[in-house]
Amino acid sequence: MGIISTVLGFCGFGVGVSAGLVIGYFLFIYFQPTDVKNPQIRPLVEQDTESLQRMLPEIPLWVKNPDYDRVDWLNKFLEYMWSYLDKAICKTAKNIAMPIIAEQIPKYKIDSVEFETLTLGSLPPTFHGMKVYLTDEKELIMEPCIKWAGNPNVTAAVKAFGLKATVQVVDLQVFVAPRITLKPLVPSFPCFAKIYVSLMEKPHVDFGLKLIGADLMAIPGLYRFIQELIKDQVANMYLWPKTLEVPILDPAKAYRRPVGILHVKLNKAMNLKKKDLLGASDPYVKLKLTEDKLQSKKSTVKHKNLNPEWNEEYSFVVKDPESQALELVVYDWEQVGKHEKMGMNIVPLKELTPEEPKVMTLDLLKNMNLNDVQNEKSRGQLVVELTYKPFKEEEMPTSFEESHTVQKAPDNTPPGGGLLVVIVHEAQDVEGKYHTNPYVRLLFRGLERKTKYVKKNRDPRWEEEFTFMLEEAPANDRLHVEVVSISSRIGLLHPKETLGYVDINLSDVVSNKRINEKYHLIDSKNGQVQIEMQWRTAS
Amino acid sequence: MGLISGILFGTIFGIVLMAGWRHMMRYRSNKRVAKAVDIKLLGSLKRDDLKKICGDNFPEWISFPEYEQVKWLNKELSKLWPYVADAAELVIKESVEPLLEEYRPPGITSLKFSKLSLGNVAPKIEGIRVQSLKEGQITMDIDFRWGGDPSIILGVEAALVASIPIQLKDLQVFTIIRVIFQLAEEIPCISAIVVALLSEPKPRIDYTLKAIGGSLTAIPGISDMIDDTVNTIVTDMLQWPHRIVVPIGGIPVDTSELELKPQGKITVTVVKANNLKNMEMIGKSDPYVVLYIRPLFKVKTHVVDNNLNPVWNQAFELIAEDKETESIVFEVLDQDIGQDKRLGIAKLPLIEIGAETPNEVELRLQPSLDMLKIKDKRDRGTLAVKVLYHEFNKEEQLAALEAEKTILEERKKLKAEGVIGSTMDALDEAVSLVGSGVGLVGTGIGAGAGLVGSGVGAGVGIVGSGLGAVGSGLSKAGKFMGRTLTGHSSKKSGSNTPVTSIQENGGAKSLQR
Repeated sequence: MGIISTVLGFCGFGVGVSAGLVIGYFLFIYFQPTDVKNPQIRPLVEQDTESLQRMLPEIPLWVKNPDYDRVDWLNKFLEYMWSYLDKAICKTAKNIAMPIIAEQIPKYKIDSVEFETLTLGSLPPTFHGMKVYLTDEKELIMEPCIKWAGNPNVTAAVKAFGLKATVQVVDLQVFVAPRITLKPLVPSFPCFAKIYVSLMEKPHVDFGLKLIGADLMAIPGLYRFIQELIKDQVANMYLWPKTLEVPILDPAKAYRRPVGILHVKLNKAMNLKKKDLLGASDPYVKLKLTEDKLQSKKSTVKHKNLNPEWNEEYSFVVKDPESQALELVVYDWEQVGKHEKMGMNIVPLKELTPEEPKVMTLDLLKNMNLNDVQNEKSRGQLVVELTYKPFKEEEMPTSFEESHTVQKAPDNTPPGGGLLVVIVHEAQDVEGKYHTNPYVRLLFRGLERKTKYVKKNRDPRWEEEFTFMLEEAPANDRLHVEVVSISSRIGLLHPKETLGYVDINLSDVVSNKRINEKYHLIDSKNGQVQIEMQWRTAS
Repeated sequence: MGLISGILFGTIFGIVLMAGWRHMMRYRSNKRVAKAVDIKLLGSLKRDDLKKICGDNFPEWISFPEYEQVKWLNKELSKLWPYVADAAELVIKESVEPLLEEYRPPGITSLKFSKLSLGNVAPKIEGIRVQSLKEGQITMDIDFRWGGDPSIILGVEAALVASIPIQLKDLQVFTIIRVIFQLAEEIPCISAIVVALLSEPKPRIDYTLKAIGGSLTAIPGISDMIDDTVNTIVTDMLQWPHRIVVPIGGIPVDTSELELKPQGKITVTVVKANNLKNMEMIGKSDPYVVLYIRPLFKVKTHVVDNNLNPVWNQAFELIAEDKETESIVFEVLDQDIGQDKRLGIAKLPLIEIGAETPNEVELRLQPSLDMLKIKDKRDRGTLAVKVLYHEFNKEEQLAALEAEKTILEERKKLKAEGVIGSTMDALDEAVSLVGSGVGLVGTGIGAGAGLVGSGVGAGVGIVGSGLGAVGSGLSKAGKFMGRTLTGHSSKKSGSNTPVTSIQENGGAKSLQR
């Protein structure tokens, strides 16, 4: 009897619990409002001591640490922009998510998944400080401290078997301290080729996840477990030194290094228009590649000839065959006064097939404006032969590449020996008594190397590379670096002047393989010179 | 019994469990919301807030200037500068050269960069201020200072003289750049950017000019011309309310709201001047008035010979684009052989003019608009003008916009044909053209003068534009022309009518009185 009653009691308890849960759910949770309200924000001055005390751990870094900068202007900017950003992001997210969902749901026998609400809320992320690091490498490092404690409301309604269930994410909080590195720096906009992002600490993540109205994150223990899980997952992927790499520019293009050679054979011109009052014109041709800083090349002048034949050859270094073009302008040579333009034309390089000579007969135009009526007049023709030869992969000069892994020495280095590479980057605050046209003189084992000189500059940049082939590691040697100024006037007093020197011990270079540092100059007030040295060995 | 008590206990247990869960939900939710509020408050701390939090331990290194300091940005900028300079050189060359061409003064036939390098010294951003002055717009003011060492060499070609390289040295730019972001609800959320220089405080752009392998005296007045060009470009293109609008992103947006549009029409009657200063050695000055709101649209009165109290009574129409900040500039000049001398200059801010009511204003003439530069405080006389401001309605505004466009296009065409040397001197040149037109058909006394005009006009046509001496000849032609128009010449034939229309387009209508 007792046993049966106990068993029944347990059964009853089981039934009761489920019934109680259902009743409780409808009693306490089902009728809870699911919408997210904007939190009431009272000005800080009105807050009591207790809430101030609660705030203390969250005081922005720029208040606590002088090396963090305040970025309130960015915060304000974000605040003004937030409502627009919110709509734009939600719209894009919806557009991306919907097709994926539509593709996935038939597998799970779900009728439909719909976003009932999708908003990121009224509170924008805030920057609680920004810190930058200056290194001697070609990179920019910044560490913003981003805190987003928002009130987003994302509700997805899942319909399956005639039932509807909602999943709601509310009150998302993400605090991260990423390190953003822009490198390498390149001389074309936006001036960096890649962005590296990594997290310096494990991020703080908190949110409410409501399944049919009940917040799963409120179950004691579950929240902590899920938070740890997310933190570990993110940390595994992006915690420093692991990084997320975002390429911005193709480095090859960014450096604008040569990719080929254009051979131009200037054959002849026909039926040029007469420009001189007396006698025929004296034509010559100027050739130039667009987007190139180099001076244009000139052909010889053919006097008194309206059908000149030149048969001259020129070659140009091509940096970007997609956008560059060859510009040909025919001028009329004059003894005095301005040389008059007789006509021009432009050949885009993408019209050429590599390695294939192409003879082109070009109509000369007044200008490149297609609609100009003046271009309908005939100004004669120009015959040229063009050949574009791209460099083979192995011919590509690689010296432009900035690689931080030290390259191997060439094959012909003796065993035990190697290649000592010295790159003279720049100097700062060098000043001579009489003149400041600095260049750098390197002395190593009696060998002397010099950079070019920079005119009148206290902070010159050279970026020049020198190599020394060595039989053995220069462990006990020193490199003498001297900044010298050369007078711009010839002869006379003070032809040369030393602006400072420094002796660098090379044993560190041998053990470190690569050193890039600024050295204080001796015999100079505040002068510094930045030298990079590499020791490349065969192995 | 056991079953019922079991069910009862079970139900109570279940309900309590649910109640507990709800309590936890509330607790956690409140905590999160409180934190969100804290973060929001701490994200926009003010001085008083910080005082309250920190009490006596207020960190000394913190200050709250109107323009927030951006040390980190400056650090990054100085590091990035060599690369930015390299990249910017090409861009600047491509974008500024056409501008130079458009605003080039008449004495110069070509103005190009032959060398452009931005130097080693990075600009400094002294501070940034962000405001939202209008719904859907963010206004960012950047206090920008650059005392750089750029090496800019301008290839200047003046008529008849070969190209002279002129070096621009010791450039200093101190200005506040206003950037307005127009927001949109599509990624990247910014549909257009408006860039302008704030007019208050006035942008300061200082530099020294140096001729290479020659002397600046080779072309008289060249440094003034370049100064003038730079000044005009800055005030007429960049200085608020003038602005550059850059659409961003792939979305085609209507940026017309952001552009500066004709707002109203001002009818200005230059009545007379009193007690002008005599500038000539023999006789008295021959004064005329040049007036403009934008330097691109200058108009001038006829010349009154030998008179220090001239009466012109000529009316013009000028277009105002921003009544709050713009002003009419009246420059009284003495027509002379060589360069015309300035007798005095005066400025009438448009905001002082009441709408739709005629105003009579007496302006004191000053030697220069820059009060800091004025040395002699002597009286330069006064200028009496009548002004009437009429605010455009929508249709009139559109019509004015169209008219402005056609004028500029017309001028471009003329320039391409080599009739006028530069858009800036369209006034003089168009006038001389009319002069020549009249010369061809004119008879009697008019014919002689007209021929002179046509001769000079033709000369100009070949040379491209006049230096000082030619310029004076030009204005003679212009003067003649002024008479033909204002005088009651019935000799106008068909041949010069179309040309006259150019003159009319070339600025404002010279109303006949």
